[in-house]
Amino acid sequence: MRSKYRFIGRATRALGGEIHEYIPEIAEQHRTGLVDRREFVRTAALLGMAAPAAYGMSGLLTGNRFIPEAMAQGKPGGTLRMAMPVQDMTDPATFPWVEKSNIARFLVEYLTVTGTDNITRPYLAERWEASADLKTWTFYLQKGVKWSNGDDFNADDVVAAVTRWLDPATGSSNLGLFDAMVEQVDSGKKDENGNAVMTKQGIAGAIEKVDDHAVRFNLKSAALAMPENFYNYPTAITHRGFGKDYEPDLSKNPIGTHAFELAEFRIGEKAVLRKNRDWWKGNFYLDEIHYIDLGEDLNAAVGAIASDQVDMIYQLGVTQLDIIERLPNVDIHEAVTAQTGVLRMQVDQKPFDDIRVRKAVQACMDRQALLDIAYRGRGTAAEDHHVAPLHPEYFQLPALKRDPEKAKALLAEAGYADGIELTIDVGDTNGPWETAVCEAFKTQCEPGGIRLNINKMPSNQYWEVWDKTPFGLTTWTHRALGTMVLSLGYRSGVPWNETHFASAEFDAALSEAEGTLDVAERTKKMEKPQQILQDAAVIPQPFWRSIFKAANKRVKNFKTHPTFYHQFENVYLDDA
Amino acid sequence: MGILLLKRLGMMLLVMLVVAFLLFLANEGDPYSIARGVLGPYAQQEQLTIWLQEHGYDKPILVRFLEWLGRVVTGDLGVSVQYKRPVAEIFWSRLGNTGILAAATFAIMVPMALILGVLAGMKEGSFLDRFISVLSIGTTSVPEYASAVLLSVIFVYSLDLLPGSSAMSNGFDIMQLILPTMVLVLYGFGYIARMTRASMAEVMTTHYIRTAILKGIPYKRVIVKHALRNALIAPFTVIMLQLNWLLSGVVVTEYAFGYKGFGALLLDAALRKDIFVIEACGLAAVFVAVLSQTIGDIGYTLLNPRIRFN
Repeated sequence: MRSKYRFIGRATRALGGEIHEYIPEIAEQHRTGLVDRREFVRTAALLGMAAPAAYGMSGLLTGNRFIPEAMAQGKPGGTLRMAMPVQDMTDPATFPWVEKSNIARFLVEYLTVTGTDNITRPYLAERWEASADLKTWTFYLQKGVKWSNGDDFNADDVVAAVTRWLDPATGSSNLGLFDAMVEQVDSGKKDENGNAVMTKQGIAGAIEKVDDHAVRFNLKSAALAMPENFYNYPTAITHRGFGKDYEPDLSKNPIGTHAFELAEFRIGEKAVLRKNRDWWKGNFYLDEIHYIDLGEDLNAAVGAIASDQVDMIYQLGVTQLDIIERLPNVDIHEAVTAQTGVLRMQVDQKPFDDIRVRKAVQACMDRQALLDIAYRGRGTAAEDHHVAPLHPEYFQLPALKRDPEKAKALLAEAGYADGIELTIDVGDTNGPWETAVCEAFKTQCEPGGIRLNINKMPSNQYWEVWDKTPFGLTTWTHRALGTMVLSLGYRSGVPWNETHFASAEFDAALSEAEGTLDVAERTKKMEKPQQILQDAAVIPQPFWRSIFKAANKRVKNFKTHPTFYHQFENVYLDDA
Repeated sequence: MGILLLKRLGMMLLVMLVVAFLLFLANEGDPYSIARGVLGPYAQQEQLTIWLQEHGYDKPILVRFLEWLGRVVTGDLGVSVQYKRPVAEIFWSRLGNTGILAAATFAIMVPMALILGVLAGMKEGSFLDRFISVLSIGTTSVPEYASAVLLSVIFVYSLDLLPGSSAMSNGFDIMQLILPTMVLVLYGFGYIARMTRASMAEVMTTHYIRTAILKGIPYKRVIVKHALRNALIAPFTVIMLQLNWLLSGVVVTEYAFGYKGFGALLLDAALRKDIFVIEACGLAAVFVAVLSQTIGDIGYTLLNPRIRFN
């Protein structure tokens, strides 16, 4: 056994890296079959090992050589036209939707990049190291990268950007994501009752500039997901002067490290990105990327791709699949994801402050039936704890069963012997399937004594009330780890905690799981936070849904990223 | 005539003023909702108050209304919440786009409807009359969102003849105008055709037409010289009213094809509570309504000398 460890260390160093002391252990787990290749490579990459080296090592350990898919040699040039909403593009740190980040993605870049294979690789950070306890992370930055204004990219940019995220005045959701660098302090203000208002802010000294091209993050608790968190959509690294020397508005000050310039930007109409220099990272086939806003009616987008006015559609609904399948020049790209919608209830608002009411709602739900009715079965039934089977740390809890009788009994116990009338807000923010879920759920609720009213509103209006309404269907995008979304949405007091769920026990259990490196061990530790969340019945959650994109056949090497993030560096046009 | 024109214009201004005030009251009656719209859902109460003070929202509503009116008259329509640009920058080009769509629609719809209506009304109960009547009732009863899909299926998906969306992202393209125009014409022409038919049929039964025919005047001449002018009075009003319908009808059509016009702008603004855009669009709609009414009235007197407004 001992020799094996040394062998792995030597092999890695020969490939040019220091290895984290946990890597030999997970390598052994991988060799004995405890951990599969995907998880081994993912974890090794998170711990700073280069992905090709990790794949190579996996081959050596298991005898199964992994041959990466050969990437076809592309043709340079051409314009990719994408149908997608063009919204305002001000501060990347406060982007509330992925669409905004997709246009910004070709201006400002990220420290890391998570591929469609869920493996996180170096990007603006050329490599990183984690301490044995996962509390100290050092990111070494690429040298020779220049901002479009001529400045060198260096540690000052990263320090400035991360500091901005953790400043509560910025209003960035990253504050919840990087919880291990955040503390709760007295804001100095009092609320109406005279109690001190607490606010979350970055811990002084958490972000440390080591030298011009290295930044260290000192965490209060262990966090394995640091590299993955740096590829969340609001974590693009902006120039050091952003929001300090000039207005934090990327559409007005499009200073970036990418090869593209913002040639045209008309909200609601069109954004044109034009390559105007070589990309520091290497080849980029496309010359221009056009984002074309065709309004909210998906039929206009389908019409556009049918008549070759656009090459791709950002997002397809399940109802559009039939017609797209008939178009000879168009391919459908499907990705199995952890995208979902939750029928979340606010635990401090009546009647949902009574757990029996929430449990009654939960007991009425038949998840598989909702998936079949509202999403044509293209997904997986969920389990009310917001961790998906595709997440590496997913712990399988006993399946939830529909039980209207139990719902009735719970309601009677809570003082609603004659049943209860509830109203759910739904905004179809990700498509009409949301209303379909509510309609189907309404029927499922009836035998349980719940009369469900559906308050349908325009998607933008829903985003105004998503964190305020007592009962609403909120959609959540895919994230690589289950812990990421639990941290963002369910920790006590974080900005995106829409249910106002607050449990010290849950927070502690989640922190413990987040800080555990051993994959098998971490999965075991996820049982507790998952169970707590499921038992609290704050988010009856119907299903995880697959997502679909449509692309003209001339678009080559394109893969749908489960988060809808646009990664086009390998994409080329066959007729360019 | 001059006095009539002046009176009408005065009336027009008065109506616009009243509607503008109602519009202002509905949108800006509650200043906090404006501040919330501009600063976003995460803004704190203090920030809202500061914003309101900075932008003069602590003044009485009548003062604010007059100030707003002053700005609107000088062309300052405020700054759009969602576009983060002056409303005037977006508004006029969008209104222009809808103008193009409306002009194309009218250029086809009005002659077509009049010709079909006259043909149908010339001989009530004939095969041609039945055919045209059924056709116009049929097309008018299909709503725009349905005909948009239907026409797309035929011309985009099956025949591959026309572009399926009309965003005109690479500048004006007449091909992209065809489908939205077809949808509007299909929906709108039936109404005018039916009105023309009814009016024509009525005229054809009058004594002077019978006399003209019996006198031996060629049939063509009877229609063109005697029947037509009288038969066109009623459709003229309907055509003027269609101007109003177009402004609302375009919402659905523009949305279905991603056409960047006034209707799509208004819908977007309404969905996102972009109040300054809503106000500008509201004013424009009122202006068109009042103007078309006035033109209708004046045109009426010109067509029919018996009508006088005193």
